[in-house]
Amino acid sequence: MALTDFWTGSKHYLCDTDLAQAFHIARTLGMPLLIEGEPGTGKTELPIQYAKDQGLPLFTFPAGSKSNVEQFVAKFDHVKYLRDSQVEVLNAQRIEQGLDPLESGGRKTENLDDYVNLGPGAQAFSHPNSVLLIDEIDKAPREFPNDLLFALSHRQFVLPESGKTISVTEKDMPAIVITSNREQELPTAFKGRCVYHYISFPDAELMEKIVKKHFPKIEGELLKKSIRLFYQLRGMGLDRAPATREMLHWLKYLEHFAVDEAIAKIDKKEGMGILIKSHSDMRKIQSFYPN
Amino acid sequence: MFTSLPQYLRDQNLQGDVRTLLLLKKSMERGLVNTLGDLYLVLKGLVTNSQKDIGPFTVAFYQYFCDVTIKRGESLEAAILRSETFQEWRKLQDYEEGEEPEIAEQIDDFINQIHLTTYDIKSVLKGEDILNNDDPNLKDLGDSDERLQNRLQQAADFSDIPLEELLERMKKVLEQQKKRHQGGNHWVGQGGTSPYGNNGAAQGGVRVGGSGGGKMARKVIGDKNFYPVDTKTTLTDDSIDVALTILKGIQEETVETELDIPNTIKEGVKQGGLFLPIERDKIDQKVQVVLLIDNGGYSMLPYVKTVKKLFSKMKRRFAHDLKTYYFHNTIYDGVYQDAFRSKLVPTEKLCKLNKNYAVFIIGDADMAPYELSEYSLYNWQEINKHFPRAIWLNPMQERFWYGSMTVNVLKQVFEMFPMSPEGIEKGVAHMNRKQKFGKAD
Repeated sequence: MALTDFWTGSKHYLCDTDLAQAFHIARTLGMPLLIEGEPGTGKTELPIQYAKDQGLPLFTFPAGSKSNVEQFVAKFDHVKYLRDSQVEVLNAQRIEQGLDPLESGGRKTENLDDYVNLGPGAQAFSHPNSVLLIDEIDKAPREFPNDLLFALSHRQFVLPESGKTISVTEKDMPAIVITSNREQELPTAFKGRCVYHYISFPDAELMEKIVKKHFPKIEGELLKKSIRLFYQLRGMGLDRAPATREMLHWLKYLEHFAVDEAIAKIDKKEGMGILIKSHSDMRKIQSFYPN
Repeated sequence: MFTSLPQYLRDQNLQGDVRTLLLLKKSMERGLVNTLGDLYLVLKGLVTNSQKDIGPFTVAFYQYFCDVTIKRGESLEAAILRSETFQEWRKLQDYEEGEEPEIAEQIDDFINQIHLTTYDIKSVLKGEDILNNDDPNLKDLGDSDERLQNRLQQAADFSDIPLEELLERMKKVLEQQKKRHQGGNHWVGQGGTSPYGNNGAAQGGVRVGGSGGGKMARKVIGDKNFYPVDTKTTLTDDSIDVALTILKGIQEETVETELDIPNTIKEGVKQGGLFLPIERDKIDQKVQVVLLIDNGGYSMLPYVKTVKKLFSKMKRRFAHDLKTYYFHNTIYDGVYQDAFRSKLVPTEKLCKLNKNYAVFIIGDADMAPYELSEYSLYNWQEINKHFPRAIWLNPMQERFWYGSMTVNVLKQVFEMFPMSPEGIEKGVAHMNRKQKFGKAD
């Protein structure tokens, strides 16, 4: 059940109370936490910061359209296996001719385990109390979450070819965080095995706190102005509204200037390219704030 | 325990079964559930599967645990106000004559109290000591017990004490309490560190009103977006599953093969190093669907839900990529992303999508002739040109089609089929045919 202390964030990461609660519930129950929400609201950051703060090993699996459960659990290295088996044949000949046999790195073809490369999933399961992040699972093919079902509910992976199993007790279960952008619906059976949490977009008040975590020395007027503009932009119905990530990038840019210079930049709407990510949105903004 | 809870959840189209109960039991054993608010949080995590589930879940929760029935379309506040639970609760508040807060405030108190969680504990003072030193059978002597005002600066933690015990004690205390109290650490009242009261610093106790803690209640439950009660659909249409199997026909199957490396090597090793390539069929199940739904006007109302249900089922079963757009009667500049038709997606943008999308247009195509302007028709033609696999499904009975001028015009643009299993079957067959011959890339 991983470590079950209630964790509310670290020096650099402000964990929204609702999220912290859901994360705590998930860890206590030994279930994965499935987080959904707008891009750029810190879904991926949660396990990373948690592992960093608590000093736990973190294993990450970024899912993509070609992801399969093999990459996640363990892969059998066919090429190495092929090489070694060829080398064996060759060595028999070499010994006959009185030559030194070739090395194969201590691997033995009879021992199939030597050719199994553990993926992040199997690694996390063999490290007690680790943190496992499966990022953007919605990008993975549909079979992927389905293939994970057994592993999640029985806390056990079967390694390919060698048939060895890696299992973990509920007590040592890694804290699993799965993020999704809802690009495709996940199977119901899969969701049923997770604790679900939807990250709602932070309001101005919380945003202020988040910003202060990242920029502790930020000047009050600058903070107020930037947040006001940020929420104005969000309220404009853009195709791709800026999220927390963009806000932080933008402030990082503004940080390079003196305070009054930065405020002037906000007033003049300079550096909008950091916040706005599409051409049509940019045009909309330019017509909205004519200079 | 809670054996009928899954039924309440199922009534709201949520997932609820034995597993839910077992997990809930487990959470209780692990000490996650101390208050009603905890119960809400834990169950929410276990039961909801998407943002839109949170509303229906709240409905089920209030109905089951608080006996507050929220009717369709009704706000939570109205339902609470109507409920007997709230009336009972108000009696317990024991407000003094004339000092009663606004009714909205009372409802806020009520909601906050329900959603008070153990997590609201911030600074902790061992609550157990206070309880142990406090005699629940103490006679009410008026205002004599108000000595611990300074305790308000601190907070008491009662989270270690089981809920039943707290409730039991609260009941006992209530029986004896005759008057509203302020401060002190024993009576149910305002302020103070008694575990039963409001605005007090006691955390994790049974909160009777007060604004502390459950800010989440206001924030989330009051939010309209989280509260779409009207998601309940009563679809009894048996033909949906039939239609679904037909729709599977749009799945693309390729005849490509690929080299099966693992098996090639395995066989090669067995053959002593003689490698013969082994091939296997490449299975590419990429189903991409664009759905354009006419959701305006009364004529389409009965069908929209059925259609959406059908295609959402399809998405769950086998389509990887389903995009739904809306329009009213016909299109001019484009279609809309949301059912309320506020976010416009221009036709050009729609036509930037991959040609291989299968496009289903669902609408009765029946409108006033002037609505189907040349410009509108141009937009339809653009869509048809771009997507070789586009068909129109019309829920109107086929025999009425000839009576409508606009139907006849649109029939010239798109292949039109009735929205029946049979019609869909024909449509899908047509789609696949078009795909084969018009291999446009």
